[in-house]
Amino acid sequence: MLSVISYPVFVLSVIVSLVLSISLFPVGWFEFRPEWLGLIVFYWTFRAPAQFGVLFAWCLGLLLDVLEATPLGVNALGMALVAFLVLTIHQRLRMYPWPQQCLMVFLLLGINQMLVHFLKQVFGGEDAGFSYLWPALTSALIWPVFSILMDNINRKLG
Amino acid sequence: MPGLRLLLVIIVSAALIVADQQFDRLAPVRSTLATGLTPVHWLGNAPYQFSDWVSGLFTTREDVKQENEDLKVRLLILERRALKYAALASENNELRRLMNSSELLDDRVIVSEVVGVSPDPYSHEIIINKGRSDGLQVGQAILDAYGLVGQVVQTSQVTSRVLLVSDSSHAVPVEVVRNGLRAILLGTGDSGALDLVHVPDTADIREGDLLVSSGLGGRFPRGYPVAEVSLINKEPGEPFVSIQAQPKAKLNQSRLVLVVFPPLDNTPTTESAQEGQD
Repeated sequence: MLSVISYPVFVLSVIVSLVLSISLFPVGWFEFRPEWLGLIVFYWTFRAPAQFGVLFAWCLGLLLDVLEATPLGVNALGMALVAFLVLTIHQRLRMYPWPQQCLMVFLLLGINQMLVHFLKQVFGGEDAGFSYLWPALTSALIWPVFSILMDNINRKLG
Repeated sequence: MPGLRLLLVIIVSAALIVADQQFDRLAPVRSTLATGLTPVHWLGNAPYQFSDWVSGLFTTREDVKQENEDLKVRLLILERRALKYAALASENNELRRLMNSSELLDDRVIVSEVVGVSPDPYSHEIIINKGRSDGLQVGQAILDAYGLVGQVVQTSQVTSRVLLVSDSSHAVPVEVVRNGLRAILLGTGDSGALDLVHVPDTADIREGDLLVSSGLGGRFPRGYPVAEVSLINKEPGEPFVSIQAQPKAKLNQSRLVLVVFPPLDNTPTTESAQEGQD
């Protein structure tokens, strides 16, 4: 658990993640982009479970819904579910070594992706096999770098 | 406690999804949120603006002069064509007036820049930097220099979301220029291929035929090029031919697009429709 939480860092991280989720960088790797907002929700509920929770994740998901033009509430529900699951396991998660943490990131964001994909299907989206799980995998791969970076920024500015 | 909140959130989400999908009640909410998120779109597009700006810094004077010359030549050619077009358009309008039809050819357009692409790789949507404050409305047609790009599906104060013709939920009523054969052109989710559906086996259609919007749905203006027939596959025994067409517009490349406004004059259209029935 972090001793100090820097709210400016929190706001900045949310804005950056929203921008990254609509920007095309890196070009041609569109499908493999990490689920940035999911990582942010995961990070903040994991580090500061007392301050951030289901409702905050739901609000962020709603913003993602507007950006992605999905039915309002779809991504919101997915993000809220991620936050809820992190809240239930965050004490054990802290004990885990990196590989196991990455696995948990993959599982939780994978559940989010599956839920969002399922709901999109219900409202007439396209079926594209299992490729919708790529973001969960890339998110899991960058999780160690991401969390160390965020911890450092927090410590410097918090 | 988190469980209770999750339950609450699930109920609210379900209500939102149903209200949004089934009853279409949330357009104002979405539009307000989208207006608030405009800076995000702006920042997402900033790297491109920046690279444009940098490449602008390092252009030599000679290059600019050369480009200017080229553009002048091109302008001359286009102006000559426009002269001819003006004559044809006035003649056409004259003929239409003689036939008591009120449809005039001129559409108003404004130029707009593409500032974003939908982050969902399975939906073909772009975001442009004109919105309600410029008078845009849902349903307006979007063109580029080569043909029809799509239609506005959602507007916020300063940006709009455009559904491309290649999206799998998009359809355009079209006609073949050569003989006026009408059909519906569906998007496939592949930006290089559209499906022309329900064309009977015996219809007169060839590869290379140009398809233009027929204006029959009342949504797209008439006569803009949409696609070119690229592949015809006749299956013996099937009632319809399967036809693929390639979009004329450069859906993946255009940075500048045109937003078409319906003509301003409100000449009585019902009258001409009745005349047409007589």
